[in-house]
Amino acid sequence: MSSTDARPALTLDALRLTFHPGTPDERVALDGLNLRMNEGDFAVVIGSNGAGKSTMLNAISGALQPDSGRVLFGAQDVTDLPVHRRAGFIGRVFQDPMLGTAPALSIEENLALAQRRGLRRGFRLALGRGNRQRFADLLAPFGLGLETRMGVLAGKLSGGQRQVLALLMAAMQKPRLLLLDEHTAALDPGTAELVMQATRRIVDEGGLTTLMITHNMQHALDTGNRLLALNAGQVRLDLDAQAKAGLTIEALVQRFGASDDQLLRA
Amino acid sequence: MDILHLFWNLVPVTLVQGLTYALIALAIMIPFRILSVPDLSSEGVFPLGAAVAAALLSAGAHPLIATACAVAAGFLAGATTAMIHLKFKVHSLLAGILTVTMLWSINLRILGRPNAPIFGIETLYDWISPEILRSLPLQITVAATLAVALVLALWWVLQTDMGLGLRGIGANPQLAPALGVNLVLYTAGGLGLASGISALAGALMAQSQGYADVGMGVGMLVNGLASVIIGEAITGRRTLLRQIAAPVVGAVVYYQLASLALALGLNPSDLKLVTGLFVLLTIGWPVLIGRKVSGAGL
Repeated sequence: MSSTDARPALTLDALRLTFHPGTPDERVALDGLNLRMNEGDFAVVIGSNGAGKSTMLNAISGALQPDSGRVLFGAQDVTDLPVHRRAGFIGRVFQDPMLGTAPALSIEENLALAQRRGLRRGFRLALGRGNRQRFADLLAPFGLGLETRMGVLAGKLSGGQRQVLALLMAAMQKPRLLLLDEHTAALDPGTAELVMQATRRIVDEGGLTTLMITHNMQHALDTGNRLLALNAGQVRLDLDAQAKAGLTIEALVQRFGASDDQLLRA
Repeated sequence: MDILHLFWNLVPVTLVQGLTYALIALAIMIPFRILSVPDLSSEGVFPLGAAVAAALLSAGAHPLIATACAVAAGFLAGATTAMIHLKFKVHSLLAGILTVTMLWSINLRILGRPNAPIFGIETLYDWISPEILRSLPLQITVAATLAVALVLALWWVLQTDMGLGLRGIGANPQLAPALGVNLVLYTAGGLGLASGISALAGALMAQSQGYADVGMGVGMLVNGLASVIIGEAITGRRTLLRQIAAPVVGAVVYYQLASLALALGLNPSDLKLVTGLFVLLTIGWPVLIGRKVSGAGL
């Protein structure tokens, strides 16, 4: 993966972020973190609790402002843009299935809301005829049966169904970066597997540049073309597809924080 | 029966009243139900609308301009509440109370005195047709048309991309910005819209009764809440249209019930207590009968 010709899709440049500075609770979450994501990279991020994984994603999305350092999409510096102004670049799915969809809106309204991500919202009806059919076609391949229940409130869906819907919403209006923040962690193993399949499918079909945090070592090995391990607010390990292919869970755990029981939960 | 006769005679007048106050109920429903940012500004915005309209009419402004300015003033007041809430991280209810408190002084300034008559000045009603204020059926028609038109307009707006953004903020304030919805702008716009409707009610009330009074907002809030609750009990909240129609239906029913209670001998000064207890009872009903609260109350 040469990053010399094209500009990276995402550049994190010496990101620094300290929580509660100057208090006894002071904690350095990002300690000069650097990262380059090339177009089409699907990087899986692992690391123990407190390593800075979620903080990194929040700094990318704009939910948190770094104390110093820069966030760039291509050549554009977005470090100072609020969440809604960089939303056009980013699709995001959260760990909590409640967060990724709007429970009081129907499935099709959720999709219509996501369809305008990063675009102007005007006085056109959100659910024109064409949209309804398009949304149903979008959902149909996932075999959840939701395409016939488009008017159902998202709040009535199961956790797995919601995460698939949230994934679709995040991938609509093709984002330059897809952020997945342990999006299968709150699901039972079977459902988590289904959502992972949906994830691979959506990322592959869209050719999406993706950062996925997971605590599931099997998913970390099976998925993506790159493996990042974070520790103490820095990227400590950055393996490409080749290096990753030779890894086993045991080797990974041994090489990276075998003492952390979170990592053993494969 | 004398009592029922009295009530019956008052039904048309009460209907006009209910249809006009329906706008306030609508304005209370929007923050509570659509934006999930409960706001009480109505209590001060309603007299603000009346004061602005009355002052401008007295100064010789065209009734249409006077009414439009009242709506604009209401919009600004609602947006102010939103900014206090979002920028200073003050709870929206407290932000609304601050706005109402400050509006009291502002309303007095605008009117120049606590109570200003606008008799003999052409009002919006006179401008449309001098017949309206002389005929109860015409008044009912005008008020009903306006209420229905507002419900339909709101129904349409909330189904557009922009309206969906508003509902998105209410449904998931964390997700909406991640989808590019500007939380500050949309919240300010949403509360502004609601307060604009409250102010319109005030402007119309002043022009139909022939005076504006800084105290005319007192109690409007609880009446509005009671209207929303009654309306939702009747129409339900299953669809967007039902949710939007509920305050109007509720206001019509509430004011008839209040009129009946008065006809049956309830002391007018006790009405607020009864209404407050009614609101409490409805909100507290699930708790009182020991059912799990699912957030169906306010």
